[in-house]
Amino acid sequence: MTEILFSIGAGDKIVGVTTFCTFPPEAKEITKVGDFSHPSIERIIGLNPDLVIVNLPEQSRVKKELDKLKVKTFVSSPASLSELYSELAALGTELGQRRAADSLISYMKQNLQAVTPAERRRVYIEISPRPLITIGSATFLNDLIHDAGGVNIFTDLSKDYPVVTQEAVIARNPEVIIVLHPLDITGRVGWQSIHAIKNGNIYGNLDPDQLMRPGPRLVDGFRKLREILND
Amino acid sequence: MNALQVINARFHYDTSVVIDNVSLSLTKGEFLGIIGPNGAGKSTMLRLMCGILKPRSGDITLFDKTLSEQSQKTIARQIAFVPQETHFTLNFTVEDVVMLGRYPYQRPFAREEKKDFEAIDYAIAAAQVEHLRKRPINSLSSGERQRVVIARALAQVPRILLLDEPTSHLDLHHQYSIMESLKKLNAEGLTVAVVHHDLNLASLYCARLVLMHGGRIVASGTPNKLINEETLNQVYGAKVRIVQHPDRGVPQIFLHTE
Amino acid sequence: MIKITLMIIAFLMAVAVGILAGPAALDAQIIQLRVWRVVLGIFAGGVLAFCGCLLQGLFGNPLVEPYTLGSASGAALGASIGILIFGAISPILAFLGSLGTGLFVYTVARIEGGLLRDRLILAGVVMSFLCSSLVMIIMVVGGRELYEILYLLMGYLGVIINSSNRMMIIVLIIISLGLVAFLYRFHRELDIISQGSETAAGLGINIQTFSIIVFFSSALLIGLTVSIVGAIGFVGLIVPHVSKLLFGPKHRFNLGASFILGATFLLFADALSRVITVYELPVGVVTSLVGVPFFIFLYKR
Repeated sequence: MTEILFSIGAGDKIVGVTTFCTFPPEAKEITKVGDFSHPSIERIIGLNPDLVIVNLPEQSRVKKELDKLKVKTFVSSPASLSELYSELAALGTELGQRRAADSLISYMKQNLQAVTPAERRRVYIEISPRPLITIGSATFLNDLIHDAGGVNIFTDLSKDYPVVTQEAVIARNPEVIIVLHPLDITGRVGWQSIHAIKNGNIYGNLDPDQLMRPGPRLVDGFRKLREILND
Repeated sequence: MNALQVINARFHYDTSVVIDNVSLSLTKGEFLGIIGPNGAGKSTMLRLMCGILKPRSGDITLFDKTLSEQSQKTIARQIAFVPQETHFTLNFTVEDVVMLGRYPYQRPFAREEKKDFEAIDYAIAAAQVEHLRKRPINSLSSGERQRVVIARALAQVPRILLLDEPTSHLDLHHQYSIMESLKKLNAEGLTVAVVHHDLNLASLYCARLVLMHGGRIVASGTPNKLINEETLNQVYGAKVRIVQHPDRGVPQIFLHTE
Repeated sequence: MIKITLMIIAFLMAVAVGILAGPAALDAQIIQLRVWRVVLGIFAGGVLAFCGCLLQGLFGNPLVEPYTLGSASGAALGASIGILIFGAISPILAFLGSLGTGLFVYTVARIEGGLLRDRLILAGVVMSFLCSSLVMIIMVVGGRELYEILYLLMGYLGVIINSSNRMMIIVLIIISLGLVAFLYRFHRELDIISQGSETAAGLGINIQTFSIIVFFSSALLIGLTVSIVGAIGFVGLIVPHVSKLLFGPKHRFNLGASFILGATFLLFADALSRVITVYELPVGVVTSLVGVPFFIFLYKR
């Protein structure tokens, strides 16, 4: 969110961020109110903001507290690319930066153009190995994969970040595996029959921030996905 | 010959002295009764004698070998201890309970051997619990349970049997049959020491009595010598009358009231 | 004899179900994966139930188990600290956690010549609360670790085995099974201790030494188990009771039967969780969901 605000020219209006907001570098200079999941309500109030942008579902507790205190909030929980676009537009209006927001949207739309290959490659995204956390259809990353020409093997799960079994991954036999944590997955017992592992289609060098954080950097992530899925 | 000898033993919990410089010998083959008022240190004395408690100072020897230098298992092959009350949290059969008395002879992982079964057969017969053999322990009356515990002690094939108030809370039948069994075992050569609350039973069955008071032994001797009105008045603080047992001639005690 | 045969058949069925049931088609890779999962299930279910039986015997209290004594929570705390510091579960920290709580509980409950059983449970429950609170703090402080700790607290068998942790897990399992075999030798001592500490002392058992050996070995076992599959609850409490109902009070049968029944129970629970959903359900959830009604049925019968 912080990076979106900066990119629509509202960076100077920010009075507080979480420790999670590390981009752009200027964001690190802003007062911290706590970490992403557990910001301090008192510190937020202390900054006396006109508007607090909260991410659901992770910050639902914060929203409840702020609602009680009658602090104005703007809810962000983009579960798809189209939701992300409409959120950007609404935020632009809210902050009086509608034009900048519109140009960001069109920049993103232009650069996130869907490709439609004859055959979509099955993609498995691994966020964490213990337990196995992947993405379901309630994420814009799910859309990004689709638009880049692939299909998320867990697109049928309507959650955002489901915990799945190893067997489910093996049974769905992905052709591409994108690993968003630093551990090696090639030596796993039982995984050797998976297409992606047999053929070495494992990508561990993608920047999670370019895939999981809403904002203009998604364009870079999308480009890499497109390369991977259409080589 | 001394089976068990206690020499100048002292014992205390925290600060309160429970056993104060006590010496006592248990002669092989004798039937000793330890009597005294509540809190005299009788039970503690018994626990020192079988090595469950260690004296803070002084010495205890078992057939002339220092008790504390022997392993607890070695001691358990020679001395069996019958606690006053046993709670059975697990509902074993009588036979299983008695078999546990063979523990001091068994090695880890080894199964029960022929001599174990022979020993429990003997113990079950001697304690007269043959008819209860397959019954679950918690289905028995307290008197029957006490006999099973004695059977367990006998399965240890001990040379010395120590019992802590074996007949308290029991009815006349069980008092009688337990004391008669002990008498018989003693006649067969077993050395027996019993802590007794019941002075009449002690006088009737024990060849020698030791009277404890305040952690010390204040008198020792045959029932005829030891039990007299003056001593009991002093130690128990109760007025008593003493008469002769009609059959055995040993002293029996009655409370005196105006 | 019939009961033993039935138990063995149930166990073999659980193993078969553990290998056959699941969403993926059977091939060499899936079989490998499931065999590992079954091995973890046998190990964790067996060890936890065995420890439950051991501790219930030692303390003569049917409420004692790895959870109520605080050992499991202590191990979970140690493991969580490991996750926070090293980003991975450390068996040594789990063991230290389990040992630390064990020591505390032991010291509180210890009196001259024995242990106060009520105080033991009380201290265990208190320590459990303390450890849970500390784990909560770690969950709040940590970010990404939250899920991992959550699964650690409920326990799950879907642990990924790979070339880097395979040897370690095999070694830990072998150590645990060795400890189980070593502790099995104490079945007679446990029988005797159920009849009071004086009886035990009179029969030649050094209660102090014995309690310490059993208590700390089980702390080690619990620490090792938690470090591999997390703190799976319920198995250690329930299974020894079932075993006692089936085979009577003797520990010679109960210790072994608890191991086998615990393994069987956990394997069935895990297979169930795998069949009903593609999501990885912490197996501790399934053990309580299945176990509670079964237990009530068994005791009301």
